[in-house]
Amino acid sequence: MQTQQSRNIIVTENLGKSVKTSNGTLHILSDINLLVTFGESIAIAGESGSGKSTLISLLAGLDTPTAGSISLNGKSLTSMDEDGRAAMRNQLVGFVFQSFQLLQGLTALENVMLPLELRGDKTAKSAAVALLERVGLSERLTHTPRQLSGGEQQRVALARAFVSKPAILFADEPTGNLDSKTGAKIIELLFELNLENNATLILVTHDQTLANRCQRIIRLDAGRMV
Amino acid sequence: MKPLGLAVRLLWRDSRAGELTILFLALLIAVTSSTAIALFSDRLERTMTDQTAEFLAADMVITSHATIPESWLEKATQLNLAQAQTAEFSSILIEHDELLLAGIKAASANYPLRGFLKTTTSDYLAETIEHQGPEPGFAWVEKRILSALKLNLGDPITVGEKKLVVSKIITYEPDKQGDIYSLSPRVMINKQDLQATGVIQPGSHVHYFFQFSGESSQLTEFKRWLKPQLNLAQRILDIHEDRPELGSALDRAERYLGLSSIVVIIISGVAIAMATRRYTERHLDATAILRCLGCKQRDVLWLFVSQFLILGLLTSALGCALGWFVQEMLFKLLRNLLPQSVANPGWLAVFLGLITGMTILIGFALPPLLRLKRVSPARVLRRDLEPLPTSAWLVYGLAFGIVGVLIWQYTEDLNMTVTIFCAGLVLLLILGLLIYLILILARRSLPIMPLNWRFGLQGLLRNNRATISQILAFTITLVAMALSFTVRSDLIENWHKQLPERAPNHFALNIFPEQLPTLQTDFKEQGIEGSQFYPVIRGRLTEINDVTVQKIVSKDSQGESATHRELSLTWTENLPEDNKIISGTWWSPEKKGEVSVEQKLAESLKINLGDQLLFIIGGQQLTATVSSIRSLQWDTMKPNFYMIFSPGTLESFPGTFLTSFYLPDSKKTYLNQLVKKYPAVTVLEVDLILKQFKTILTQLTEAINYLLYFALMSGFTVLFSAIYSTLDNRIYESALLRTFGANRSLLRKTHIIEFTLLGLVSGVLAAIISEGLLFALYSKALNMDYHPTLYLWIALPLIGAFAVGLAGCWGVRHVANIPPLRVLRDS
Repeated sequence: MQTQQSRNIIVTENLGKSVKTSNGTLHILSDINLLVTFGESIAIAGESGSGKSTLISLLAGLDTPTAGSISLNGKSLTSMDEDGRAAMRNQLVGFVFQSFQLLQGLTALENVMLPLELRGDKTAKSAAVALLERVGLSERLTHTPRQLSGGEQQRVALARAFVSKPAILFADEPTGNLDSKTGAKIIELLFELNLENNATLILVTHDQTLANRCQRIIRLDAGRMV
Repeated sequence: MKPLGLAVRLLWRDSRAGELTILFLALLIAVTSSTAIALFSDRLERTMTDQTAEFLAADMVITSHATIPESWLEKATQLNLAQAQTAEFSSILIEHDELLLAGIKAASANYPLRGFLKTTTSDYLAETIEHQGPEPGFAWVEKRILSALKLNLGDPITVGEKKLVVSKIITYEPDKQGDIYSLSPRVMINKQDLQATGVIQPGSHVHYFFQFSGESSQLTEFKRWLKPQLNLAQRILDIHEDRPELGSALDRAERYLGLSSIVVIIISGVAIAMATRRYTERHLDATAILRCLGCKQRDVLWLFVSQFLILGLLTSALGCALGWFVQEMLFKLLRNLLPQSVANPGWLAVFLGLITGMTILIGFALPPLLRLKRVSPARVLRRDLEPLPTSAWLVYGLAFGIVGVLIWQYTEDLNMTVTIFCAGLVLLLILGLLIYLILILARRSLPIMPLNWRFGLQGLLRNNRATISQILAFTITLVAMALSFTVRSDLIENWHKQLPERAPNHFALNIFPEQLPTLQTDFKEQGIEGSQFYPVIRGRLTEINDVTVQKIVSKDSQGESATHRELSLTWTENLPEDNKIISGTWWSPEKKGEVSVEQKLAESLKINLGDQLLFIIGGQQLTATVSSIRSLQWDTMKPNFYMIFSPGTLESFPGTFLTSFYLPDSKKTYLNQLVKKYPAVTVLEVDLILKQFKTILTQLTEAINYLLYFALMSGFTVLFSAIYSTLDNRIYESALLRTFGANRSLLRKTHIIEFTLLGLVSGVLAAIISEGLLFALYSKALNMDYHPTLYLWIALPLIGAFAVGLAGCWGVRHVANIPPLRVLRDS
């Protein structure tokens, strides 16, 4: 049992999220029971409004559930306070978003250095340069997001996600803002990096082809796993 | 984490991207203006105090009927105070069979410590400025002495037993003042000759003046040390106590300078709060990313607070330097009006500017900034997740607290602080309610509006909270500007009224009743404009309600001094101009045995309406009932009286008459005829003092004008930047409207309606608030008459509508020209 538990990086039990509205309680997610093992890749699919983004934000500790529990790498996220979850995110988790979410004020290099800097890592710069070279942006280190194309911005986001060597990578529609050709390149890069880092991948997508590249697909409908 | 390094980098990037421009400008304006005003008013005040100190010829004077203990002078020496002494007494001079009662003044070497004397050697030569009195063996005399005693310059004159040579005609003496009855033409001699005159005998009537000047802290210490040791016949004089007419002008000017500082601080505070709000909103996403990447809440807060602290320190330092430069420029602009030597700027004022800058920044920027701490990391996935706003109590409480402390610190006047604070609070509450009602009314009228009006109004109604805070901000700015302008105008008008062009500049005293008709005819023939001729009877107040006055008054008070000398008593049927009844009623003509008492003396002597006052007049007793308490303006240069009696009360006592009149420089020679025809009449020339007083008021007026321009300039700059800080949402929504097919003309009209309405409403509310605050300020703090200011009701809405309308439309002008997609993408 101990061995089985230690292989699981994400465990949720009866996870739920509801909000109170003027028309009563709205259940966004209900009874999500999920076991994710180390190195596994999972796609979360579903229609708009099915609760995909809510699930990913709960799993990553960006939001708190109203029911059930989550544990990440054996530690209960639900019993942590906000600062505890922040520390957990910094140590364990990487993110890639549909809208890239780069800090507009910082250069590509500074954006990638950020997670390591927040950790107090002295090697932040060299690690960030190496990773930007790996994603093919060695010529773009001092460019700010505004000076980069969408594809380039998403590469910077990938570099930032992997620079801290996360155990889990959460990707929310990573190609949603890109044309299909650029999107395909980004996905290749994402899977390559994921493999190199031996990270667990949780990918939210509408794209069936992309979902099929993952080892497992979880479908959500009206906040429930189907 | 290395928060400081990251903070500096983010700050640098933000500043390069223009994110901090408004914040920087608002803070820079606040610090520059508050430093400039603090420096300027500090320097001006010290310069003015120096200048007004000339009226005492020193910073502080001890008057005494005998010499003071040596230890007092030693203490003054220990405190590095410069010292001088004069002794004044009356003496009959006899030359060429002519007799004249002269006022002799024996001056020590350092006299005058402040100001200067003016002398001449002939009518045709210009006056010479002298920084000390005559050498031993010489006498300087007033010109009237030469004519009265048939003397020429170089002739000998005998003062007591000492023969001296008349070497100069004295034309100006800074500290010629005091009881005007003791004024007789001046003979000034050196103190070393005093003993030789033989006039100083035990029991002789001599006034000694021990003068001191130096650092104000040392003077204060000396005064504190000295006060308990003074006997009943000794008094300390300084400028605020001894020259109420100048004191009140200076006090009001100081209060205005304080008010200007507060105005600029409040305006800038509002801009800083608005700019920080915008900054916060534009940094919600970045904060969410940082939080998502594992930045803790307190790290996020520290990251932004440290950026603000760095920005605050750098901007405040720059503001202080600019403030220094601005006040230097102001002094350069005013150099023709100011005295030759201007006090140096004080470093404390610069330091104060820095502290002020940081305090305003923390007070106004911290509450909106705290919102960033509450940003949810889940915002990276759902942008609509808005952090909860910071508690309104914290936002307004901190801002109010800071403003309150600053007001108190600047005015050093709890009364004024509490007045502004309470009035402001009450008015803000009323204001909030009014805005809310206006918005409800606007919402109801939406269905009947044409399209562009509907869009314009919807722009305001979409976010009630934001609209209320914007209107509040514009209103406060407009109120602050209006206050600055109105108080300044009324202050200056008030001064002009006190000293009109042809204000009386001479007093004629000791006019015997039988001379009155001819003198009045002479004045008429000469075209001399005079005030009323007041009868004057000398009397001493001895008892109040059968209690001896000395038992009632505290030592060293104004009342105490009034009980030690004879007062000039008068009677009149009508209340003199510039006098105002504070309590009680002015008498009807047939009332006898009533007296009206000046307000401050009444307070000091604890005199109330209905009290029985006992006077001793020429050995006889007179009882009168207090029927009114009057306030009067000391700065009008017209005869003023502490005690005015009802007609029929004083007529039986022997007395003389007194008047003041205006004599232009060109008619100055008439004085000689006057003195010749009425030798007993004493003419007191106050035209020089009056000119000096007018110069000081002109300087203050100019200085205050510049400060007003400064306050208005910062007001407009801040108003414009405040509007810019609210534009993001409007630009986004306009771009959306364009994608739905709204044409440029519709957008332009919508914007004009929206911004003009915003300004108009703010202007109307500003007029209401200004009126209320002016009433409170005038009646409680500045002691001036309050009149409703009609022009504010027209000007403020117009200025509000125009300024906000113009700035707003200018800010969103690009929306109509650039492709909407770009705006939407950039957002």
